[in-house]
Amino acid sequence: MMKASAKLLPALVLAVVMTGCGDQRVLEKLGFSQTSSYDIADHDLTEFAVSIPRAEPQAQTKREVLSAVAPSGKEARIKLARQTNLLLVSGQLRNTLFSVAIARNGMEKLLDTLVRDPSVSPRLKISIVNGNAKKLLEKEYKQHPVTGKYIDGLLEKEAIGRTIPLTTLYSFTRDLYDDGIDPVAPVLKDEGDHIKIDGIGLFRDDRYMTKIPPSEGLVFAFLRGSFKQGEVSVHLTEEKNSAKSAIMFSSILSRRSVKVRRDASGTPSIHYHIKMKGAVLEYTGNASLAEDSEREQIERQVAKELTRRGEAIIKHMQQNRVDSLGMGIAVRNRMSYAAWKKLNWPEVYPEVKATCSFNVLINNIGKVE
Amino acid sequence: MNVNGNGIITEKLSSFHLSVLVFMTQFGVVIFALPQMLSKTFGTNGWVMLPAYGIMVILNLLLVGAVYRLGNGRSIFAILEQAIPRVLLMPLYLFLVAVWAMLGCLVAKQYVLIFQMIAFPTTNPMLFKLVMDMLLIWLMLKGLYNISKAATLFFWFSVWMILLVFFFYGEFKFSRLTPFILKGGEGGLRDYVGIFAAFLGYELSILTFQYTDAKTKFLRSTIYGSLLTTVFYTYICFVAFGFFSFQQLNKMLYPILDLMAFIRFPFIERLENLFYGFFLFTVLLTVVMYLWSAKEACQRIVPKIKEGVLAPAIVLTAYVMAFFPETLSEVQAWLQVFSELECIIAMGLPMLLLLVLGLTRKKASGT
Repeated sequence: MMKASAKLLPALVLAVVMTGCGDQRVLEKLGFSQTSSYDIADHDLTEFAVSIPRAEPQAQTKREVLSAVAPSGKEARIKLARQTNLLLVSGQLRNTLFSVAIARNGMEKLLDTLVRDPSVSPRLKISIVNGNAKKLLEKEYKQHPVTGKYIDGLLEKEAIGRTIPLTTLYSFTRDLYDDGIDPVAPVLKDEGDHIKIDGIGLFRDDRYMTKIPPSEGLVFAFLRGSFKQGEVSVHLTEEKNSAKSAIMFSSILSRRSVKVRRDASGTPSIHYHIKMKGAVLEYTGNASLAEDSEREQIERQVAKELTRRGEAIIKHMQQNRVDSLGMGIAVRNRMSYAAWKKLNWPEVYPEVKATCSFNVLINNIGKVE
Repeated sequence: MNVNGNGIITEKLSSFHLSVLVFMTQFGVVIFALPQMLSKTFGTNGWVMLPAYGIMVILNLLLVGAVYRLGNGRSIFAILEQAIPRVLLMPLYLFLVAVWAMLGCLVAKQYVLIFQMIAFPTTNPMLFKLVMDMLLIWLMLKGLYNISKAATLFFWFSVWMILLVFFFYGEFKFSRLTPFILKGGEGGLRDYVGIFAAFLGYELSILTFQYTDAKTKFLRSTIYGSLLTTVFYTYICFVAFGFFSFQQLNKMLYPILDLMAFIRFPFIERLENLFYGFFLFTVLLTVVMYLWSAKEACQRIVPKIKEGVLAPAIVLTAYVMAFFPETLSEVQAWLQVFSELECIIAMGLPMLLLLVLGLTRKKASGT
């Protein structure tokens, strides 16, 4: 037995070592695509661009941006691979930008290449660019880190603050294929010497339809689910003298509950109730927050104002027939399978009575009265 | 420790070892596709069918247990040959050898092809398989007791991965599971059997009779092993159903690969290649058990050929056979056919043995 093992050992070593000869990946020869972008080009073509950080010390620039026009994303990648000395790989791809124009035509086909390729991470962030995605990616923003990194950091930070949802390849496709919710994605815009969040893009199936302004981002987050952390600013008009004031909440804790009712005809109605707790960091009005009665009045005012803003968002979504809050999920989960299949949700959705209410609690007012 | 007929000391499997052995033989690469198979076949909340499969496995194991009890722990070959002439048994043995060897080689090839897809797109998969097969020969030659020891070691190497499921709790939503039970599935009998293939492996315990004694508690240990598989499968698939939306799941070929790609540590992400590597341990055990079983049966056909020759010969034949199905879909199509045959063996073999035992008993009491 030992003899057989002794003979097999060199063969095993050889086989193991030889396996390493195929599919070599030498770090210096690889171009790690970090951010990519898709734009519409003439005649049904797609313009694909990719930004690759360069690490070698002798490199003149910190990154390389390549672009090509082709009928499909992967074909464009083959084309632009001819422009670089690096082997392009997509294992480190962190962000993909789609121009609004291309997103309006539908994303499913474009996402296919990303979902199919096993080297692409499901955590790849998806965002929409109001304007030209390639131009935004190409541009150098002097005060900020390299553009790809800048976008990545911006999206991640804002998602933690809940002004935008964190949209990844996984979450986008998940909501795309779910029959009770439509996907959302943050919208970016070039603002001269910086990039700004331009709102939350709302999709109907895979098509970009409309967006919510960035100021309403947190109200949208309230309606979309429970969360911790976030900041919101609310403008109030005082009842007594109609003076305007503003109050800003931070460290928000929000819990959402959904109620679905169905009337005699079977048409569902939905009510969102949000319990929000937060610390006041800024208040420009005249009331004294330390006074229980006055504080409670402010709380009620804030709740009323948030309800108004929430219902405006819901109305906007229903008018555009985008179910970005996942009302369909709530309705579906309170129905029988047969009834759900019979109910043509996309048709019913705009007619559904949807309301919301807020309950606001100021849990601390900071260091002054 | 016992002394068998040849005067060689053979150690007996402990109860824990047998459970682990059954689990490791069952648990395999099918888990990567299982959530999708369930959602396509059974529809929404397809994971609830897994415990039902688990019960079927236990019923089948009860049959095996009955053979064990009635045959007083004699090897199944001894039981068969006592009642049926060897010449008549040859076709059965050949059939067993063919199915077991093919299953072993196909499972290995499937693992290698998926690995190739995610990590080494242009490396020849057969080169990988060669390395794997050498390990297999060594393991096979060591005999069942040592295989079970290796199984226990491999078990600890890979079982910790179940903790990774915690990473998916954040995105898991009960609302995504939907309240619909088994709606929208469109599977047929072949799909049901295809899912049962994920549980196959337990039936090989029928060959371990002579490696057990009273302390092994054969039936109880094998049932525990199969229960562990059922629990793991159900848990993982349950989480996958609440992590992915139903229609999305239907479109994914390997949802668990995507799950693993989702894991991110503060210092590193995209570890699925590494995690997939750990699955080698469970696959290796599945394959070695099938090939070892093929060898056991083959030895009955050609008792004169030594183990040291037979094992490499079987591995080599299986290796050559593995060249034929080239693509992943071909491998899966072949696997489907052979696991269907294996299901017949899993149910049929214990029944045949019970029949033989019943008849010989009658004969014995009759004379």
